[in-house]
Amino acid sequence: MSCSPFDLRDYYLKELTDPQQRQVEVHVKDCPACREELERLSLTQAALFSLRDEEIPQRIAFVSDPVFEPSTARRWWTAFWGSSGRLGFASAAMLSAALLISAYTRTAGPTNAAGVSSTEVDRRIQQAVYASEERQTTKTTQLVHDLAKQAESEHTLRLVAESEARFAKEQQFAMEKSVGNLVSPASN
Amino acid sequence: MIFRAVEDTDLIRQASRGSVESYNLLVSRWEKRVYNYLLRITGNREDALDLAQDVFLKAYQNLRKLEDPERFKPWLYRIAHNEAYSLFRKRKPEVDSEQVEPEATDIGIAVGATSVFPIELSLAVASALDRLSPDQREAVVLKIYQGFKFEEMAEILSCPVSTVKSRLYTALELLKAALAPISPRGVS
Repeated sequence: MSCSPFDLRDYYLKELTDPQQRQVEVHVKDCPACREELERLSLTQAALFSLRDEEIPQRIAFVSDPVFEPSTARRWWTAFWGSSGRLGFASAAMLSAALLISAYTRTAGPTNAAGVSSTEVDRRIQQAVYASEERQTTKTTQLVHDLAKQAESEHTLRLVAESEARFAKEQQFAMEKSVGNLVSPASN
Repeated sequence: MIFRAVEDTDLIRQASRGSVESYNLLVSRWEKRVYNYLLRITGNREDALDLAQDVFLKAYQNLRKLEDPERFKPWLYRIAHNEAYSLFRKRKPEVDSEQVEPEATDIGIAVGATSVFPIELSLAVASALDRLSPDQREAVVLKIYQGFKFEEMAEILSCPVSTVKSRLYTALELLKAALAPISPRGVS
C-alpha cells in the first residue's frame, strides 16, 4: 500500500493536476518505498516499449471517385449550409446588392405604374420636346408670315390713301382753276 | 516569411468539404498509429490492415458529423475500437460482446529483429501482453503505446474513467510481475 498523498500510478502516468504532481514529487524525495514503486513502473514501461511500432504493410489512400462522392453542387450546398460564417457573408452580400439596386433605380427615376422603362420614358420625353419645338417653329413662321403680310397690307393701304389724297388734291386744284377761269373773263 | 505547418484540424475541415487530397494527407499521418493499435488488439497483421482501411473509410464517410475537429484522435480510435469489436463479434457471434476475445495472437508483433532491445525481452513482453484480458490489453495499448488521457480512453471504450483505471492498473500489476525477472536493466 502506497503512502503517497495521491496514487503513484496516476502520478507516473501524468494524470494528476500540477499541484498534485508537485505534492507527490515532494513526498517521493523522502520516501524510498514510493521511489522504488516508481522505479518498477518505469522498468515495466521500458520493457513494454521494447515492442516497436511496425510499418503498415500497405499504405492507405483514397481516390476521388464520383460514383461514391456527392456531386460538386451538393458538396457546395452542404458546405454552404454547414458554415454559419458563409451564410452571414451571403446575407450581407444580398443586403448590399439590394441597397445598390435600390440606390441605382432611385437615381434613374422610378419605373411608372404602367411598367414603362426609364429609357422609354426618356425617348418619349425627347419625342414630345421635338414635337413641341416643331409646333413652336411652325407657329413662329406663321406669325412672321402674317406680320409681313399685315405690314404689306398696311403699306398698300397707305399708298392707296396717299394716292387717293393726291387725286383729291389734284381734283380740287383743277376745280379751283376752272372756277378761276370762269370768274376771270367776267371780271375782265 | 512565416511558414505554418498544416494542422490536422485544417485537413479535417478541407476533407469534410470533399478534398480527398487533404484526407489522404490526414490518413498518412495516422495510418501507422491506427494500424499498430489494431495490430496489438487483434494480434493479426491482415486483420489489422483490413480494419485500418475500414476505419479510415468510415471516418471519411462520417467526417462531417465530427463537430469538434480537435477531438479527431479519440473519435478516430472510437471507430477503430468499434470496427475491431464488430469483427470479433462476427467471428464469435455466439459469445456475449463483453466477453469477446481476440484470436490467440501468437503475437504477430515485430520482435527483436530491428529493435534495440534483446529479442528475449520483446518475446517476453509479447507473451505477457498476450496473457492479459482483451480489455486490459486494450487499456495498456491506449495508455502506454498511444498516450491517451483517461477521459479520452473512457470516450473510446464507452465506459467510466474508473473502469478504465481499474483495467489499466490491474494490467500493469500483472505486467510488472511477469516482466520483473527480465527487465531491460536485467538484460545485458
